[in-house]
Amino acid sequence: MTEAHGTLVAAHRPGVRSLLTLVGCEAKMVMRDTAGLVVPLGLPLLILLTSASSATDQVVVNGRTALDVFVLPIVLTMVVAMIGIVNMPSFLAYYRRSGILRRLAVTPASPAMVLTAQAIVGLVQTIIGITGALVVAYVVFGANPPAHVATALGVLGLTMAAMYATGMIVAAVAPTPNSAVAIGLVIFFIVGALGGMFGGRDALPDPLAEIGGWLPFGAAVEALGAASAGTSVEVAPLLGLGGTVVVGAVVAGLLFRWE
Amino acid sequence: MTSSEPAILAENLAKSYRRTRAVADVSLRVDNGETMGVLGTNGAGKTTTVEMIAGLRAPDRGRIRVLGLDPRRDRARLRQVLGVQLQDAYLHHALRVVELVELYRSFYPAPRSTDELLDMVDLTDQRRTIFEKLSGGQKQRLSIALALAGRPRVVILDELTTGLDPAARRRMWDTIARLKADGVTVLLVSHAMEEVERLCDRVAVIDSGRVLALDTPAGLVARAGAESLDDAFVALTGKSLEVSA
Repeated sequence: MTEAHGTLVAAHRPGVRSLLTLVGCEAKMVMRDTAGLVVPLGLPLLILLTSASSATDQVVVNGRTALDVFVLPIVLTMVVAMIGIVNMPSFLAYYRRSGILRRLAVTPASPAMVLTAQAIVGLVQTIIGITGALVVAYVVFGANPPAHVATALGVLGLTMAAMYATGMIVAAVAPTPNSAVAIGLVIFFIVGALGGMFGGRDALPDPLAEIGGWLPFGAAVEALGAASAGTSVEVAPLLGLGGTVVVGAVVAGLLFRWE
Repeated sequence: MTSSEPAILAENLAKSYRRTRAVADVSLRVDNGETMGVLGTNGAGKTTTVEMIAGLRAPDRGRIRVLGLDPRRDRARLRQVLGVQLQDAYLHHALRVVELVELYRSFYPAPRSTDELLDMVDLTDQRRTIFEKLSGGQKQRLSIALALAGRPRVVILDELTTGLDPAARRRMWDTIARLKADGVTVLLVSHAMEEVERLCDRVAVIDSGRVLALDTPAGLVARAGAESLDDAFVALTGKSLEVSA
């Protein structure tokens, strides 16, 4: 066969430098998209500012206040959820729709590289949002650090994975960039409302409160609150978050299309 | 590397989308360093053919080798030596010209320099311009620069100069002539007779998903007993290119 000169081409894949360039480009795309940049960082901060002052003087347990145990977990979960469920899928849907992924498909860059770069940028944005909220909470409102710091970090990591997995489902089922934003926002508000974003889950009818505790938002708030209070984290919310990661990965694996 | 081995070999390609047959039977053989034109009206099957050669679509039937590589099986290796300009591919809309050029350069082990690429397509003055603020012709030129970023040995250009003004069009022709002088193999999809006549060593006339004729531009004219390539095309296909262009 006529394979001779093809074998002279060495296999080369873009390396770390290329990934970093792509990460830089994705970061610029996010920074130049004002709404996508400001809303996930600003909205949780607004919730913090409006509900923190009344929550600082109610001690719940172990010297931790309602701010530490209820408000901050909601605020941090909001940051993670907005970036994972709304922002990331809308970028992926836009890339798919606009032909950017098709253009990249004829270069040595792989679709997985785009996904990795997006995940890194989302992670950085999440860390900035969480740091901003924590600084305001500690400096302005005198919040207390979590009783179990390592547990809190572990739960945050699992929450990010669960929110990204949910976002991948959105990216997989949304046919257009606009529908990705719409579906993402609807899911964000449903899991948020059932998870205590608009007030404690206690106020919800029992079956809804139960469901909300298993969904990623309620589960994250529950587990973060326990880590903050220093009480033991229950298994149910961890199962809820872990289950979301599995379901998201399976659904996205089956349905996600690059074109 | 033996010179008898073609840079691009496509044998009996066929591709259908649901009920429409885009490509019925296309065979092409492009030698190393040759510039081959693909001429046809809209819907003739040109774009589907080059997308199969570029590995973007799997043919239903037929065999493809580009520099001896299978575009789908040897994807990673082929991508380094193949440059592709797609007809309506979009780029990151919020990035500047220079940022896009640097991104695409980063994919290759020994890319052309940013300055050289911008100069090749006359976008040096627009290097700081955001992609979505570029005119249609400037976007097109940027897309060509990105196709050349990795010093490809084979270049596929789909509608090279569509939408370009006459000066930019001439500039692109010079660029292609330089590639050719460097021994690069070029597959050029076009509507424009003047472009094909000027640049291409041979031309494949495609209609209804089949190759009707494959010859030098002069050979096509002589074979059809025509006065010009335009007339030869009409004689071969019964269609005029100018209407669809």
